[in-house]
Amino acid sequence: MRRSISRITRGRRFSPAGCAVVLTVLAAGIPPAPTAQSAPPAGAVPDLAGIWDGTPKVRPPNSATIPWGKANFPEVNERALAYMKVFDEAVSPKYDCQPSTPPALEYDPYMMEIVQWPDRVLLRYEKDDQLRTVWLDGRRATVQDFGLQGFSVGRYETNALIVETDHFVFDITGFDDYNGIPSSQQKRVIERYWREGSELRATITVEDPMFLRKPASYTTRWVPAPSGYKLAAFDCDQESARASIKFLVPKYK
Amino acid sequence: MNVQRWMVAAGAVAAIAVLERAAPLVAHHATTAFYDASRKVEAQGTVTKFLFKNPHAFLYFNSTDGSGQTIEWQIELGSPLNLARTGWTPDTLKPGMDIKVAGQPSRAEGTHGICCATITRPDGSPVAPGARLQEEPRR
Repeated sequence: MRRSISRITRGRRFSPAGCAVVLTVLAAGIPPAPTAQSAPPAGAVPDLAGIWDGTPKVRPPNSATIPWGKANFPEVNERALAYMKVFDEAVSPKYDCQPSTPPALEYDPYMMEIVQWPDRVLLRYEKDDQLRTVWLDGRRATVQDFGLQGFSVGRYETNALIVETDHFVFDITGFDDYNGIPSSQQKRVIERYWREGSELRATITVEDPMFLRKPASYTTRWVPAPSGYKLAAFDCDQESARASIKFLVPKYK
Repeated sequence: MNVQRWMVAAGAVAAIAVLERAAPLVAHHATTAFYDASRKVEAQGTVTKFLFKNPHAFLYFNSTDGSGQTIEWQIELGSPLNLARTGWTPDTLKPGMDIKVAGQPSRAEGTHGICCATITRPDGSPVAPGARLQEEPRR
């Protein structure tokens, strides 16, 4: 992430059509996607670029039952249950402005932007000013790449963008901050983004053998942001983030 | 003199219903651990500070109880990013403005917090033209 930010400021923006041409060339050096075709079909690079609206007017806001509800609540193991039992809301990192991470970040009720370049896709989130870089050029993570948002690689496959992210650091609310479910450095998140008419859809799947008995997933949607909308700075304020902690009945003394 | 009034609503609310009703309010954290959705509090006083910062805006105001003691209230609102989309600005509520607030009281003993609030002038009129007055669950 740190490395990618400096590159982005120097980077040049390409159109999705241009990306399609360059990606076709780049594809020769990328492991083939698991499809029956020998070459990417026409339109294999979907136009996902733009600012997308995920605010409460578009989808129900996140909560203890959304997006992880009765139908898809993760099957957690005993280790996770132990963490959940001792979890103390007051230590949740968000009260000190630590950003949420996949799979929670994608469902935060704010705008987000997708930029498609030939060698990468940029996922920029209004919430907490987060930027994720999805590398399309075949690079692999190193031990230097562990970070809060992990390390992401991607590929286009049958009109969808597939993002695979690992190299996360342990996060006490890294799976879900409403239910206090942690995630480990073994968390792996697979995201599939595609267009459904004018909407953007995504299925987010999480694996984490340290805490989950099996992968869990949810599917969500965004609509195009109002014309001319620009992402606003979040500038999380530490006084504001922690101001309500005094209202909790203390769990520990 | 401003008067503080407490009203306790009858009956308990099922936990899941509370979560579904309260959590959407702030979309940063669930409110049930902080505020008691089964109770309601009303207070009237004068704005001292409006913190219009992410992840949550907070409104601070003072009221006076029956014995003349000053009560310092803290109202939790949504994020300024989302409040701005519904007409709020940093100047919507200014220090010195008299307001009336109704909402859920904070849980910790001795604290004076409110969430999910309806904010009006003391006579019930809007605090500002075009500004949303009610911070409540959106579904």
